[in-house]
Amino acid sequence: MNTSSPPIVSVERLTHHYDTGLTALSGIELDIAPGSFVSLVGPSGCGKSTLLRVIADLIGPSEGRVTRTVDSRRGELGFVFQDPTLMPWATVRDNVALPLSLRGSATEAANDALVRVGLGEFGGSYPRELSGGMRMRASLARAIATNPKLLLMDEPFAALDEFTRFKLNDDLLALWQANRWTVVFVTHSIREAVFLSQRVIVMTPRPGRIVADIDVGLPFPRPPELRLSHAFADECARVSAALSGSQAGAAA
Amino acid sequence: MKSVLPIGFGVALLAVWEAAIRAFDVPVYIMPGPLAIAGALGANFGDLMAGLWITLEVTAAALALAATSGAAFAVLLVQSRRLESTLFPYAVILQVTPIVTIAPFVIIWVEDIMAVLLILAWMAAVFPVLSNTLLGLKAADPNLRDLFRLYGATRAQTTLRLLVPSALPYFLGGLRISGGLALIGTVVAEMVAGTSGTRSGLASRLVEASYRLELPLAFACFVLLSAAGVAIYVGLDALSRRILRKWQDGSVA
Ligand SMILES: Nc1ncnc2c1ncn2[C@@H]1O[C@H](COP(=O)(O)OP(=O)(O)O)[C@@H](O)[C@H]1O
Ligand SMILES: [Mg+2]
Repeated sequence: MNTSSPPIVSVERLTHHYDTGLTALSGIELDIAPGSFVSLVGPSGCGKSTLLRVIADLIGPSEGRVTRTVDSRRGELGFVFQDPTLMPWATVRDNVALPLSLRGSATEAANDALVRVGLGEFGGSYPRELSGGMRMRASLARAIATNPKLLLMDEPFAALDEFTRFKLNDDLLALWQANRWTVVFVTHSIREAVFLSQRVIVMTPRPGRIVADIDVGLPFPRPPELRLSHAFADECARVSAALSGSQAGAAA
Repeated sequence: MKSVLPIGFGVALLAVWEAAIRAFDVPVYIMPGPLAIAGALGANFGDLMAGLWITLEVTAAALALAATSGAAFAVLLVQSRRLESTLFPYAVILQVTPIVTIAPFVIIWVEDIMAVLLILAWMAAVFPVLSNTLLGLKAADPNLRDLFRLYGATRAQTTLRLLVPSALPYFLGGLRISGGLALIGTVVAEMVAGTSGTRSGLASRLVEASYRLELPLAFACFVLLSAAGVAIYVGLDALSRRILRKWQDGSVA
């Protein structure tokens, strides 16, 4: 990995309290290298979404500092939610073109993004006419339509069946290798995190903090069969051990 | 067929009604039978239609006014929480005040009787559109709101491209209720304002006919008014279904 260029996102001593008094994140230190694929894994409620929203500047940190070299207003940041979050009254093309049309830029790039996610034929359809997997593809197309430098994805495929999820994982990896956006990918699936990422950040709850930062020792490109290999299983076991080790520590 | 049972029930009810009127020899100025009412309807058809037309004109104008002003006011209120908490209580007061109690003042202040009817019917109809639209504007998907914020959307863009379309199903739901209320408002206003002459609506004709104890005619007015109420509801329901066909599951996006 190229460690010489400055991080695209730098999180220092980040702590976040919600109005309810709940401390969602505590003492987070995290640098994201440009062009890298990083996953955040951890059980539900450990603050993954909160961290992603702080990185996106959708919520401000209570304490600490987040610096980023991207400007979301210029389309340099793409965000994919767990739900497709499409506007039901607009065609798929108009949904994908949203980040472009809000800035008054030409919307041709939306067609290109649709082709890239394999929805070239469906620009004129409405979201309700698409399957769950296709809606998620449309959501991804919207996030990449501006050719962002940073792509933040919050459990984007968690609601999909396993076949669809694998296919979308494969396609996402191919897109990432072709475009080299920086991706921060939230998931609660260790296998998904290991398959996709160069680096897996392991988090635990109460309060949300980082307990392990693991470099995944698997080369790219990563073909679908990789999921059946021993090397893959070993990497998953490492992440799993980090997660359970930290939880045993917390329980003691 | 789903409609066989209710229609059969209605016909049976009319038959029992007619039979009871005849069996007990009830005088027509107390309670006319369905046949007498149908006779009055036929004999005065042209006149009644003219009256119905006037009532429907006022109803439609009041509904259009309620729809536009209610929706516009909701868009205004949603711009600021403080504005909403300042002004919305007055909309509630307007809603809970029986319009009959305001009618005498409006009649004093406004010369043109059609304008009086319009104002009173508007007052009766505006609240459901306003409150439903406000609800819909606030029901926009929070993730989509975040997305608009992320991409630096202006307030006008967020309102027009996100909040207003999100509110459309709610607005149409409110419109369906307001349609019936606009008719009720017009009818009450006609009864209180007491229009007369050729430009009088169906409700004031109903009142006149009942004063003259012409109950078959009064009932004929009543039948037409309730048919109009049903037609307004069915029409608005069909309109909203048509508009919402593109929405996910028809009701609320
Ligand atoms: N808007 C909010 N207000 C109050 N508490 C919240 C809010 N959002 C999340 N939380 C709480 O913060 C914690 C972390 O939530 P979240 O970041 O969504 O976790 P994750 O994405 O890992 O499941 C949870 O306990 C959650 O209940
Ligand atoms: Mg989450």
